[in-house]
This record gives sequence, C-alpha cells and structure tokens, in this order.
Amino acid sequence: MTKTPLLLGTLVAAVFAVGAATAQDVIRIGAPLPITGPLSPEAVKQQRGYDLWAETANRAGGVQVGGKRMKVEIVYVDYQSNTPRAVQAAEKLITQDKVNFLFSPFGSGAAKAASSVSEKYQVPTIAATASSAQVYDQGYKYLFGTFTPNDTLTEPLSDMVKKQAAGVQRVAILARNDLFPLAIAQEMEKSAKKRGMNVVYFEKYAIGTLDHASALSQIKSQAPHWIFATGYTNDLILMRKQMGDLKIEAPVVTMVAAPAYQEWIDGTGKLAENVSSAAWWHPAVRYKGKDLFGTTENYVKLFQAKYKAIPDYAEASASAAGAIFQLAIEKAGTIDKQKVRDALASMNEMTFWGPVKFGPTGQINSLEPPVFQIQKGKPLVLHPQSIRQGELQLGIK
Amino acid sequence: MLTFQILANGLVLGGLYACIASGFSLVWGVLNVINILHGSIIVLGGYLAFFAHAKLGIHPFLSILVAAPLFYAAGYVLQRTLINRMIAAPVLLTLSLTFGLDLMAQNGMLLAFTADFRTLIIEPPLGVLALGPVVIPIDRLLAMLLALALTGLLYLLLSRSRIGRAVVAVRMDREAAALMGVSVKRIYAVTFGLGAMMAGVSGTLLAMIYPISPLTGTVYLGKAFVVCVLGGLGSVPGAMVGGIALGIVESFGALWFGPENAATLSFLLLIVVLLVKPTGLLGRKGYE
Repeated sequence: MTKTPLLLGTLVAAVFAVGAATAQDVIRIGAPLPITGPLSPEAVKQQRGYDLWAETANRAGGVQVGGKRMKVEIVYVDYQSNTPRAVQAAEKLITQDKVNFLFSPFGSGAAKAASSVSEKYQVPTIAATASSAQVYDQGYKYLFGTFTPNDTLTEPLSDMVKKQAAGVQRVAILARNDLFPLAIAQEMEKSAKKRGMNVVYFEKYAIGTLDHASALSQIKSQAPHWIFATGYTNDLILMRKQMGDLKIEAPVVTMVAAPAYQEWIDGTGKLAENVSSAAWWHPAVRYKGKDLFGTTENYVKLFQAKYKAIPDYAEASASAAGAIFQLAIEKAGTIDKQKVRDALASMNEMTFWGPVKFGPTGQINSLEPPVFQIQKGKPLVLHPQSIRQGELQLGIK
Repeated sequence: MLTFQILANGLVLGGLYACIASGFSLVWGVLNVINILHGSIIVLGGYLAFFAHAKLGIHPFLSILVAAPLFYAAGYVLQRTLINRMIAAPVLLTLSLTFGLDLMAQNGMLLAFTADFRTLIIEPPLGVLALGPVVIPIDRLLAMLLALALTGLLYLLLSRSRIGRAVVAVRMDREAAALMGVSVKRIYAVTFGLGAMMAGVSGTLLAMIYPISPLTGTVYLGKAFVVCVLGGLGSVPGAMVGGIALGIVESFGALWFGPENAATLSFLLLIVVLLVKPTGLLGRKGYE
C-alpha cells in the first residue's frame, strides 16, 4: 500500500521534469490579436503570417540557438478588437504564459498602448502593422516595427508624378475617416502642396459608408488631374466601381491600400487598370534575403502552397516579424531578452521583406516601400529603382 | 446640374435602402422582434448570388427565383423552432436571441467563406443610363426597380391575400386575431419567413453593387434601423418612403456638409422624426 503514493510521486515528478524540458526547448512568442470583433479579418491575416513563419522554422528543425535547435510556439490571445483588452492580453502573456518575446497587437493604436507593458517587463516586441511615428517616439528600448513612417508611401509617388506628368496640378483627396487611411491622406496633401500642386478637394467619408456617389459627383465637377483615395478593400472596390458608373476620368488615380490586395484587383476587374498605389511590401518585389524564407519568390510560393492565396503586405509583415526574431536570436545565440533586444537594435540584414535595419526609435528605416501600378491586370513595381518592373502609365478608363 | 445628379444618386440609393429595410420592418412591426440576424441574411443572399454566378453562371436576377423560396423556408423554420419559444418574452430577450444567432451566422460565414471580399462582376457590364449630364448606373436602377416591385408585391400580399390579412390582424391585435381563429404561431412563422425572404432577395440584388464579406451585415442592419424608424414600424410603404428619404438626405448631406457628416445628418433627422412624429412618417397601426 505504501508503494502507491511513492509511485504517484515519481510519476508526478517525471511529468514535471518532462514539462520543464519541453518548456526549455521551445521559444514561446505571444501574439495578442483581435480574433473576434470588427478587426477579426485583420487578425486572420496576421495569424496566417505568423503561422507560416513558425511552421517553416519548425519544419527546418527549429531556430538555431547557440549549439542547439529550439522549436517555436506562438501563443495567441483574443482581445476582441478592444484596445484596453489588448494591453491586458499582453500583460497576461508575459506574466502568466511566460512568453519569451511578443508580437504587438494590430495597428498603430493598440501597438502603442501595449508597448508600455512590454517595456515594463523588458520583453523584446515587434510590431508588424504599426506605421505611425508616434508609436515609436516614446523613448522605448524594447519596441521594434517593420513599417516605415506614412510619408515614405506618398513622397516617392509624388516625385514620380511630378516628374513624369508635369500637367498634373489639381489634386482631389477622399479619405476614409479612420486612423491609417486618414493619416496617409494627410501625408498626401503635404506631399502635393510641397510640389506646388493645388489640392482642390479634401474630404473624409465615414466608416461603413455604402455610397460614394455624392462625393464623387463633387470631385467630378472639380475636374482634378489626380484622384487620391484611401480606404480598405470593400470601400475602394465600391468607390472604383462608382467612379466608373459616374464616368470619372483623370490622368492619375491612386488608391491606398486596397490595390495591394488581389481581392481588390479581382473585385474591380478592368476598372483596376492603371490605378497606382504604394505599400510597404508587395509580392512583386524581388529581394534575396538571409532569413529562412530566402527570396521573396520563395516566400510567395510557400504562402500560396499553404493558403492557396497571394500574400499581402500585412501577412508578409507578420511573417517578416517572425523571421526577424529568428535572425536576432540566432545572432545572439541565446534567448536572453536583453541580448536578443541588442541583436535587434544592431540588425542590418537583407530579408525577403527587404533590407532590415531599425532606427534609433526602433522603427525600420532601411525599407523603401514599393510604388506600383496595375497594368494588364497585374501589379508592376515602379519604384524603387533597384526592383523596377515598369513605367508609370497615365489615364484610367 | 450637380443638384440633379445628387438627386438621382439619392433616389437610387434610397431604393436600395428600402429594399434592405422592408423585411426588417415587417418582422419588427408584427412580431415585435428586433431581428439582429437580418443583416447576415442579406449577406447570405449575397453569397448565394455570388456562388450561383461564379460556379453556374446564373445571373443574379435569376438567382432571386431560388433565393426567395429558400430564404422563406429557412426563416419559417427558424421562427417555428427557435424564436417562437421566446416570442412572449420581453423584447430584450428576443433581441439577445437574434444577436446570438447573428454572432453564430457571422462566425460560421467567416469559417465557411473566409474574410475575403468577393465581388460579383457581370460581363459585359450593364452600363449607365445618361439623361443629359446626369448618369444613372443601370445595375443600381434595376436593383432599385426590382426592390420597388418586390416591396409592392409584399404590400399586395399583405393587403389582398387571406394570409396577408391574417398577418395584419395579428399585428393589430394578437388576442383578437387568435379569438377569430387565426393561428398566431403560424402567422408569426409566415411573417418571419417573409422577412427572411426579403432580406435574402435584397442580398442577391446588392451582390451586384457591393463587395460581399461575412461582416458587412452590421452596416446593412444599421441602415435598416434608421429606415424603419423614419418610415414607421411594420409598414411596407413606410420602409419605401423611409428608404428614399434616407437616400436623399445622405446624398445632399454629403454634398453640403461633407461625406463624413452624411450619417450624422441622417441620425439627426431620425431624432427630429422621433420628437415630432414618433410613429414614423407613415407609421399607423394596421396601416395595410
């Protein structure tokens, strides 16, 4: 009879020992995401990006940490599209789930809110979808981001239009009244004015707008040379369609960020032709990286094999965030938080996402976001020069 | 000229709003159920039209012939099996029930169809109708006319047919209708079926105009709410009038106060109507 407790005790000890051993061999990265609620479609994209990285790394045996290989595990927590909950989720991941590193919650607002938690616990954190400079100007040491500031999207495009279409003077801007779409529209206004162009129309439309006909009729009456519209896929499919319905034409039509998504190109059909755009990354770019994915082509191929879809910049950024952690861990040779943080801060590597080097605030400053245009149903990169595939075409039908 | 174009835009948009709202108004008016699921049923109608077009090449106008009986039957069964059990409960409970069903529908659609936006493109495009400098897209015009016709049919059904009169009788006085031998439960199910049918059919029409994705139902639901209260609960012509009023107010609101204030203006109008004529523009008990 006395043997049973002893046996049980041994078993329990053994289970604990095994548990401890696995915990040590796994790198755990926390990912608070808006899995439910209005932002859930974005969470799906982030998850696809993270999962592809984790799966690819594990298939290769894991991440090389000093002399051994460690598997990676991503711990997801749903913050229900509610920013205060995102902060709680980040804290829970660090204190209870004991994650080694963190991916920021979605978008600039939530990433900024949660960054104070990772700073407090000194956990290296990579934001895959935060572009606003205000996220990074808090003097934090543990926050890094894969998106350059918003003006890096509008400046190269404005230069190109100014140079190649000298007649473009009148600019009309229609923006979704939402954080990123509005911020990028305001950058566009600055870029246009800086080059002596005349902004003849600047209006915002509400989230959930089901009709753009009034705004577009007004734009038409202003006869602009350049129409710059911002919004998400559904907004800009509807808007482009209504522009066609109202017979609106202009030498340059730019939409951010929808044309970066294949869904937008499919959803607008022939109307997509010659619409220009800019994003932080595009599947058409060509980089030869030192990360686990290697070339951009290979990344796109792996993504297509797993999800039967072409990755967009948000999905690729999530995968890049994982790949960047991996490069930093392998360089540090340990999962010590301080050392990995230092490796991130001093990183200067080429990846499938583009060149990765973080500025003093932690925001990436090496990346030149591509400008592209839909030509013959396919996106062609117009800028940067090193990966250019075509010339800017004027006029839409 | 801009004024005429905006007026045309507003009228066409109003027709679509009427189409979105008529079924919702009927269910709310007769059953006193705020059917949060309504928006998702519209989206499901959109998916039906999309897949019928993509896989079988069926034009969305023809899909209506399938959508109407299908969604009627689904609505009837849903009411009979689930919502009827709660029908006597306070309105907040039925609201919670349809809210829960809506969450299930949204997440089910996310799983089944993913969050991707899908667009139904008709080739060759239907083009536009040009009346001088004023242009009206034909797909929207046809959708509006069809919506008007359907709403008219629903009105005829309610005012002329035996079952329609029973629906109106139940709406006016449930107890009295029951005493006259009307099977209230059956009428409830018929009404909910009609509401679901209108939602599903609007979905197939809207598929030609709006991108389809699982969570867009919420936006339709918001519009349906405003249209119903504007036009008067439970009144089919009320939904028509409310829809067109909303379409015109939003269009001119966008012109005069900027597109971001168009929705604010429509909600201001809503408050004014609630203060001045709380039953809505055409709201009168038992109007049909």
